[in-house]
Amino acid sequence: MTRFSVFSLAKNALSGHRLWERTWRDAAPRDAYDVVIVGGGGHGLATAYYLAKEHGVRSVAVVEKGWIGGGNAGRNTTIIRSNYELEGNAAFYEWSMKLWEGLEQDLNYNAMVSQRGVLNLCHSDAQRDAYARRGNAMRMNGVDAELLDKEGVRRLAPFLDFDQARFPIQGGMYQPRGGTARHDAVVWGYARGASDRGVDIIQNCEVTGFLRGADGRITGVETTRGVIAAGRVGVAVAGNSSRVAAMVGLRLPIESHVLQAFVSEALKPVLPGVITFGAGHFYVSQSDKGGLVFGGDIDGYNSYASRGNLPVVEDVCEGGMAIMPMIGRARLLRSWGGICDMTMDGSPIIDRAPVDGLYLNAGWCYGGFKATPASGWCFAHLIATDQPHETATRYRLDRFATGHLIDEKGQGAQPNLH
Amino acid sequence: MRLPCPFCGDRDASEFVYRGDAAPVRPATSEGFYDYVYLRENPAGPMREHWYHAQGCRNWLVVTRDTRTHEVFGAVLARGAAQ
Amino acid sequence: MAEPLQITARGKVALATVMARKGVDAAAIGASLGLTPPTGPLTAQDETMTLIGVGPGAWLAISEYGQAGWAAMLGGKLAGIASVSDQTSGYIVLRVSGEGAGDLLQKGAFIDLDRTAFGVGAAATTVIAHIGVILWKVDDAPTFDVALFRSFADSFRDWIAASAPGLAAPSSPVR
Ligand SMILES: Cc1cc2nc3c(=O)[nH]c(=O)nc-3n(C[C@H](O)[C@H](O)[C@H](O)COP(=O)(O)OP(=O)(O)OC[C@H]3O[C@@H](n4cnc5c(N)ncnc54)[C@H](O)[C@@H]3O)c2cc1C
Ligand SMILES: [Zn+2]
Repeated sequence: MTRFSVFSLAKNALSGHRLWERTWRDAAPRDAYDVVIVGGGGHGLATAYYLAKEHGVRSVAVVEKGWIGGGNAGRNTTIIRSNYELEGNAAFYEWSMKLWEGLEQDLNYNAMVSQRGVLNLCHSDAQRDAYARRGNAMRMNGVDAELLDKEGVRRLAPFLDFDQARFPIQGGMYQPRGGTARHDAVVWGYARGASDRGVDIIQNCEVTGFLRGADGRITGVETTRGVIAAGRVGVAVAGNSSRVAAMVGLRLPIESHVLQAFVSEALKPVLPGVITFGAGHFYVSQSDKGGLVFGGDIDGYNSYASRGNLPVVEDVCEGGMAIMPMIGRARLLRSWGGICDMTMDGSPIIDRAPVDGLYLNAGWCYGGFKATPASGWCFAHLIATDQPHETATRYRLDRFATGHLIDEKGQGAQPNLH
Repeated sequence: MRLPCPFCGDRDASEFVYRGDAAPVRPATSEGFYDYVYLRENPAGPMREHWYHAQGCRNWLVVTRDTRTHEVFGAVLARGAAQ
Repeated sequence: MAEPLQITARGKVALATVMARKGVDAAAIGASLGLTPPTGPLTAQDETMTLIGVGPGAWLAISEYGQAGWAAMLGGKLAGIASVSDQTSGYIVLRVSGEGAGDLLQKGAFIDLDRTAFGVGAAATTVIAHIGVILWKVDDAPTFDVALFRSFADSFRDWIAASAPGLAAPSSPVR
């Protein structure tokens, strides 16, 4: 694999950029692998990469029913942050942020990681108190956080509607190290790194069932491209975890919901970073191409349809208009939806399944993109060593039964409230 | 998405509050409570689910809807529906 | 030629919700009231009151002769078979009538207010411009009555002012 550098760039410029080799190999399935990862999104590919790189497990296949990055990895709004409060989340997301910070060097690939800052606005005293508490928790965990007053917010984003009668902006919490990354490039970068280390990436290959030994242990997968034997199988299928788990008779504490996102026409740079509304669900950033990328709540009902309905479109646009009326003058270019696993406490699951040889990486709700590096890192660790990684010990499947929920939002056991 | 309320007629989904799968039944004892609260079939296909007509007749409905297409096949009042 | 659009607050009306007890049907309520309530989203009326179907076994009752104690009197008549609660100070009732009345309300409603779909005597509990309303059609002038929680009256009036160009705010105070 050619390394990207000034020299390879110059060399290829001389041949008109016609001689670059493919970024990764589109493989055909072999009969058997040590590990099969189901799902070629960011999480599945990162898992395969770290299995090969950190654990020396090179007989690995990633099987993807469509094309890699065609799921939520290619549909998200690209926000990365580690502004979590609760034990169990804080260390994990901060580990992910650290991996983001070194990702491009590690992968030798430009993932356009941009730490342009994440600003969460507050609109009431109670909300400011909650942010102060969250910010303090973050700082005690070694994560950057700043509590801003109104003038502090104004310096960052003077165009906001500060004196809106209903939701006046009173300040905000700011994480300077948060920001965005180019979602597709993250997928391609991990695919390239994994492929380079011998991982087979197999597209148009849907897993339709599992092979099991006499003792019940998983021994492989049935796919639309034939049977593939495997020592261990890891499932990282984002919004489809319940469907795959059902193939071994498992029910999960998960519902699948649709989340929508939107992008405007390209504008000159207007937004300094990521901004979120505190009195409703609306968040926005500006892509390097200039589009305002924004979103809000999940639609709130079970769905596998990859498209949402108009009430949420209205709700998101009202949220935008409430804090930055200038957005009303931008034309909308596209909107789309993706299917997210919503767990009962809003936090993910990285654990052994109660079936030998099967591992689960599931329950990635709204915020699974920022988790991509750590999720891959921890899932690889779990599959390779059969032990949870130290930053992911709490993401157990049985936490719902034992009462160790990680309810970052404090909403209770109803997925459409998280 | 519009839901056919048996009392009010066809209404926009935004008038309703979603509760989820209508299948789980609250057990009489603590046995089975974990399953009831947390575990879901989460089917891809037709599903019977609870919707509350909060901005209409204020009744709970059981709606049958395909989760893959959002096609709605019908709705009955939950109080009359066999679980 | 229809009358010009007019929006007024109906003053001096008494309001109550009537909810049938378990197993009690509309006919039994009608026998006690002397007016049989509708079993769907419709209105029924006599010279003393109008009953509006707002849900299965649930009605909004309105009387023009809004003397204090009207709801208690209804409750007395329905003792044991229905629960009655006084809503006189809870709701305000706006009357929207004349040319374009349907068009104006249609701007904020998700339901079809065309005369073929929503005729005289039709009623709906729904949302107009994010505000919960009980809406019914009184006559073909057309005249619509809209009951909404009193604390939303200002917001509703703002919405009318924004949605009916050339219209002043309702001609009588809506508090
Ligand atoms: C609109 C939207 C906005 C979002 N915004 C953000 C954000 O700003 N920040 C953030 O942190 N997170 C965000 N997320 C969440 C994030 O995108 C997801 O949590 C994350 O991408 C999930 O992991 P993944 O990349 O592996 O998923 P995916 O890319 O969906 O990968 C799963 C793959 O599994 C495949 N698969 C499914 N079933 C099978 C099968 N039976 N056999 C083989 N393959 C199968 C699918 O085809 C898919 O490619 C957003 C999500 C959406 C939908
Ligand atoms: Zn209804």
